[in-house]
Amino acid sequence: MNRIIEFFQLAVRQVSRRRIRVILTVAGIAIGVAALVGTVALGDGIRTQAVEAIRTQSDLTLLEAIPGVEGNIVYLVTPTRVSAIEMLPGVKASAPMVLGTFTTRGQTYVQVVGIPSGSLGAVLNPSYLRGSAFSPGSTEVVLGAELGEKLQRFEGVRIGDPLVLLRRSYDARGRPVDEEITVIPVGIVGERGDEYDQALLMDLDLALSLGDGEEGFSAVLIRAEGPERVFQVAEGVKSLGLSPRGSFEQIEAVNRMMDMVVIFLGIFAGLSLIVGGLMIASTMITSVYERTREIGIAMAVGASEGDVMKMILAECAVLGGIGGVIGDLLGAAVAGLLNTLGGPFLASRFGDAFAGLLDTEIALVSWPLLFAGFGLAVGLSLLAGLYPAWNASRLNPVEAIRSGR
Amino acid sequence: MIPPVVEICNLTRHYPGGVEALRGVDMKIETGEFVALIGRSGSGKSTLLNIIGGLDSPSSGYVHINGIPLDYSNRSGLIALRRSRVGFVFQQFNLIPSLTAQENVEYPLFFNYRPPRERQEMAARLLTMVGLENRLSHYPGQLSGGEQQRVAIARALVADPPLVLADEPTGNLDSSTSEGIFSLLRQLNRERGVTLLVVTHERELGAYADRMIEMRDGRVIT
Ligand SMILES: Nc1ncnc2c1ncn2[C@@H]1O[C@H](COP(=O)(O)OP(=O)(O)OP(=O)(O)O)[C@@H](O)[C@H]1O
Ligand SMILES: [Mg+2]
Repeated sequence: MNRIIEFFQLAVRQVSRRRIRVILTVAGIAIGVAALVGTVALGDGIRTQAVEAIRTQSDLTLLEAIPGVEGNIVYLVTPTRVSAIEMLPGVKASAPMVLGTFTTRGQTYVQVVGIPSGSLGAVLNPSYLRGSAFSPGSTEVVLGAELGEKLQRFEGVRIGDPLVLLRRSYDARGRPVDEEITVIPVGIVGERGDEYDQALLMDLDLALSLGDGEEGFSAVLIRAEGPERVFQVAEGVKSLGLSPRGSFEQIEAVNRMMDMVVIFLGIFAGLSLIVGGLMIASTMITSVYERTREIGIAMAVGASEGDVMKMILAECAVLGGIGGVIGDLLGAAVAGLLNTLGGPFLASRFGDAFAGLLDTEIALVSWPLLFAGFGLAVGLSLLAGLYPAWNASRLNPVEAIRSGR
Repeated sequence: MIPPVVEICNLTRHYPGGVEALRGVDMKIETGEFVALIGRSGSGKSTLLNIIGGLDSPSSGYVHINGIPLDYSNRSGLIALRRSRVGFVFQQFNLIPSLTAQENVEYPLFFNYRPPRERQEMAARLLTMVGLENRLSHYPGQLSGGEQQRVAIARALVADPPLVLADEPTGNLDSSTSEGIFSLLRQLNRERGVTLLVVTHERELGAYADRMIEMRDGRVIT
């Protein structure tokens, strides 16, 4: 270990003798590292922002398991699967549901959701703007915020008053037949920002009695234990053959997109890293050539071939290290610039939707990222140094000393 | 009985292209001797020194150092020889420009895996011995030719080798500086008992040595 440090001390002496050349050589690697750090920081920052926005604006821990299709096999939501979901790790509560579509007399389209009254609170966790939940075995229903407002405004529907729902079906001869059901709205749910704002919630038994009774459940509604368990639950649902849906998919989509963006931009950063490595190789080849005599002297006073290789590689590592540090600093500076200028720019161009970016970081520089940049620079430099180092170690000491260089 | 420091039997060295630099050299140097090697340019003096010091290999023949034959096919054996059993002094001084006088003298100890403190102390002691105690942190470029050669001599001695090989150490120096170097060599030979084999062009400098060996056309003639 001490020995390695001493080789590095020697290397620093050699490198500090050629400051200008070192700076020029190291520029390539530094720019590559800076580009990489900047790109990944920006990608991570935007990813974090987007995920955070999804988390705060949507009900992330709510999932739906709908029938899954694999090849030509359809996995339906059977009672067995419903109870299997209940047992999945990470599931806090779950409830089967049936969906149906109705219209009102005023031709308002109504999405009906039947759900066991006992599970409504645990799964959907509704807060009531007015009124309260429906009771089991009754014809009471609860309206989503937007639906409630619409029905009240255009059809004068009020809580406690009967509401007639129509379902159109077709008889054997293809003529439309309208079936009528009367329900009583007993509550309006506060705004949630998802499709339940448009829905009419009723007891599962009531909903089942309205349907043909042969379709089984439409889906299972799941509440995960926490945001960090959501992906685990989704995997569990997939393992049962069903298909998970929910706002977690937006996070997946964001991650997929940001991965693409970072990889694409990373290719350019990688190219400049390769150029940087070639520059180091070229500088070291020159340096070995210029110092042929010195290497011969080192051999004459007892340096082994391994010692010579270590000397050259230590110099490469020092060059790479300098490049890595400069690159990290540049990358962090670029990220800082993006944070101070980029946020306001986006906010002014795209308006309020991006106002949140004003006081948050759109480029996220992390320690692991900086270490990765540094490590990459050093590793690449060592790789670039292998050939010159091997060359140096193969020199004939007599000829090297006589070379006059 | 102590074996001779250097014993050479029927040594030859052919270079590709038909040059026969050494054509059967026999030589014996006893411990503590100061031997001057003279001869015309091209007579094979440098070739001989490089082979004795393990920097080059002979085409045939044997070299014994302290009674042990050198195995030129054994790389690590040659490295061990260069590390601690011979010291080199060259005509062009051959110091490392980026290292100070003291660091240059330490250099062989670095490859001998000695700890830094010991290296620094030894280097300072050797530089004091060659009269450069005030030049420890000077770089080669800040030293005169004679001073640089003194640093090189200190470097050759620092690992305490029993044998020092010097190839025209005064070839680049004026005559009074040259005499200074030779009297230093004489003094080191007397005080430290180090065996010296020194190549020189100038016969009058040979007067500092115990004896002179003359080479001509790859052979020893006296
Ligand atoms: N690498 C080589 N390839 C071919 N011939 C060589 C090589 N090195 C030396 N020679 C030849 O070997 C002979 C001896 O060379 P050497 O350098 O030993 O002479 P020298 O006595 O040291 O001469 P000088 O006093 O000029 O230094 C010369 O004829 C030289 O041309
Ligand atoms: Mg010579």
